[in-house]
Amino acid sequence: MVISKYMKHKVVSIPVTSTIREAAAVFVKNHVGLLPVLDKNDKPIGVLGLRGLLTLELPDFVNMIADLDFVHDFGAVETTRPSAEMLGKSVKTLMEPVITVEEGTGLLRAYALMLQHNLHDIPVVSKDGKLTGIASRVDIGIAILSAWEEVV
Amino acid sequence: MNIAAILSSLIFIVSLVFIFSEKINRSIAGIAGAVFMVGVGRILGFYSEEAALEVIDFNTLGLLLGMMILVAMLEPTGFFQYIAVWAARASRGKPVRLFVLLGSITTILSMFLDNVTTVVLIAPVTILICEILGISPLPYLMAEALLSDTGGVATLVGDPPNVLIGSAAGFSFVDFLVYSLPIVAVAWVATLVLLRFLFRNELSKRPHNAEAVMSLNPTESLDQPKVARRILIVLGVAILLFFVHHTLHISPAFIAVSAAAVGLIWVQPDIQELFRKVEWSVLIFFAALFVMVGGLEAAGVLGSIVGLMERLSSIPPIWFGVSLIWIVAVLSAVIDNVPITIALIPVIRGLGVAGMDVDPLWWALAFGAGFGGNGTIIGSTANIIVATLSEKTRSPITSQLWIRRGLPVMLLTCAIASLLYAIFYRWF
Repeated sequence: MVISKYMKHKVVSIPVTSTIREAAAVFVKNHVGLLPVLDKNDKPIGVLGLRGLLTLELPDFVNMIADLDFVHDFGAVETTRPSAEMLGKSVKTLMEPVITVEEGTGLLRAYALMLQHNLHDIPVVSKDGKLTGIASRVDIGIAILSAWEEVV
Repeated sequence: MNIAAILSSLIFIVSLVFIFSEKINRSIAGIAGAVFMVGVGRILGFYSEEAALEVIDFNTLGLLLGMMILVAMLEPTGFFQYIAVWAARASRGKPVRLFVLLGSITTILSMFLDNVTTVVLIAPVTILICEILGISPLPYLMAEALLSDTGGVATLVGDPPNVLIGSAAGFSFVDFLVYSLPIVAVAWVATLVLLRFLFRNELSKRPHNAEAVMSLNPTESLDQPKVARRILIVLGVAILLFFVHHTLHISPAFIAVSAAAVGLIWVQPDIQELFRKVEWSVLIFFAALFVMVGGLEAAGVLGSIVGLMERLSSIPPIWFGVSLIWIVAVLSAVIDNVPITIALIPVIRGLGVAGMDVDPLWWALAFGAGFGGNGTIIGSTANIIVATLSEKTRSPITSQLWIRRGLPVMLLTCAIASLLYAIFYRWF
């Protein structure tokens, strides 16, 4: 059970030269939660998460107050948008380090890595480091579970 | 100058340089300096371990420890959050009203509780309130830092220099209310008026989401109402006892530690977790400073300084006191006011022994150390904490901003203190 058999082959990614505004448009168009960021040789050099983009809009107090139950209306923050200057910045400012697995990686190893690093999707690369697919926790989990049917 | 005096001064100065340059953690620098002082003192015969233990003011340490334990128990209850949310609702989202309420709450809380804890707990809720109103948190955060330092000057337990001075001079809680509180009250109002003027542009912006503030629920913001009630009762009784400690002949330290004991028994918190919140490093830093300054005194250094200052006795006492306010204030603006206070205490005591009327000088020291910290962004721990917190937001407080908005407050409050001090000098 290797990951290349169960991963999605069509991966939406962005070049490292993109701006945050361009990245956001790719997220919206493809309805995905993670974008691998590729260098000019198609090798992933980082990832851009939906969460990373949303921190631009999240108010500062969210990280300072332990229990937000008493705040029923976020008021002005609800309509705040990142500045045009911010959106024009390179994706490198929000990019996080990428953790990849090779195509021949076993499913359980891939799943364990995702658990340890708290990832929802993991990019898969060929032996020469080029992006060839992406697998989600659901893809991997369902593949593992489907093998249980063989247990008698 | 003999060799003991030269070496002990050198140890003290080198330790201070390390403490203020923040190259080494101040408690580590303090412990190392204290050990050096005792070691050299033993070799040269001017200081000993017994003498070092004797100079540690356990009244100061006990009072600080007791109050720290009580505040550590109050902290997780959400009481501070509750108060700030109440202020936000009472202001109905009107900036100036919110500014006065939050500033005044910080002043009053810091009269009885540690300034740093007060701002650490009030500032995040302030940022929350400002963000949902869509206004800049800067005026509010700066007012809280400046007023927590100002409020602390009012009482015996308000800030560490007062605890030290109260203990050294034998001033009671009521003495502080009689001599210091009135001056602080004027400084408090003056600070609000001055900041209102300096931040007039920010404070005149009308928030369009005032009703969002009304949806904040104070009851929900109070996480542990039962614990909060118990700690507040204990704190209230302790404060009442502070009023009469002189008449009852009990030390403020005994009251604070007893209150902490009663609180601990009544609430029975997870003690390990609670002790992690007590700032042991501060207590150790204080003890180390006492030991170092004790060494200086034993080596005769402070005696020489007293001798030098006595020659200045031709200066009229009022000018002497006012100069002390400003010298201590300027020093406190650039360096920590605790080492300054601990170092000046034996000097003032020495002047008293030499026959000078030192009561006014104790008050000058308290005003200078208290109001001086407002001068720069690093002048007090409360300032540093608020600035660090604001760096995590979209509108950070910079040192230039502090020079433009904080320094005028320090100058004004020191001027008010000097003026009232001079006018009412004969009552001090």
